Amino acid sequence: MIGILICQIALSIVLAAVFLIRPSLTSAAGWKIVAFIGLSVLPALCIVGGLNTHVQRSEQTQFCISCHVMIPYGQSLYVDDPSHIPAQHFQNHRVPPDMACYSCHADYSIYGPLEDKMQGLKRIYMQYVSTPPNPITIPGGFKNAQCLHCHLGARSFEENPVHAAMIDSLKSNQTSCLTSGCHDTAHDVANLDHRKFWKPAQ
Amino acid sequence: MTPSEIGIRRLLQVSSALVIAGLLLEIVSLVWFHPLSFVLFAFVAVSLIGLGILVYLLSLIFVVTPITNHRNSK
Repeated sequence: MIGILICQIALSIVLAAVFLIRPSLTSAAGWKIVAFIGLSVLPALCIVGGLNTHVQRSEQTQFCISCHVMIPYGQSLYVDDPSHIPAQHFQNHRVPPDMACYSCHADYSIYGPLEDKMQGLKRIYMQYVSTPPNPITIPGGFKNAQCLHCHLGARSFEENPVHAAMIDSLKSNQTSCLTSGCHDTAHDVANLDHRKFWKPAQ
Repeated sequence: MTPSEIGIRRLLQVSSALVIAGLLLEIVSLVWFHPLSFVLFAFVAVSLIGLGILVYLLSLIFVVTPITNHRNSK
């Protein structure tokens, strides 16, 4: 997809270069249409394509851990301990490994990806202009909806008597999946030095 | 060549230059795998391309010959 976008951008650049060198061409009616396409329609499409590509790229695990502060969180996905929720999900492919961060931290609403991108921009601002929080926290806390997006309706989840007893409380976010004492080991980056790590076969 | 034609061509050249600069920066942002690449795209490349489109659309407004001139010439 990025190849098609770059070809589109290259075509736009060529057309714009024609009118940069020979603006007098627009005297002819046919060239007026070409100028309209080359200087407004195609560049606008390039903006839309670029925005789409950037939003899709930010869903990748590699993109998330390209920030220095996120490197320990990426390492925590390889902790060799099934009680570590992110590691268990990542290592057993319960989430797509190349979209591991996004799968559990995305806002699954209509404008979720854009809102996530805005949150990302705030983080960049804090990193480069303001002071980044230490430890890193999720604004508003981790919501159960992000777990229930996949687990709700799954047989193993719904047949579990503990889940069944508190399903309404989980749906309404009154009881947190993570901080209520049930699945409380998330990334635990403070203790990574003492952990054993899983090495994939490849 | 009337003075307005010279102005229109100048505007077209400015528009083309802005669009080219913005698109080149967009390519850089696409091949640069870094969190700041989106900032480069959203705040610099999009601004330049948007400004280029705006200048081009303004040049279209200048192209329209005022109706009063036609009436006077007749």
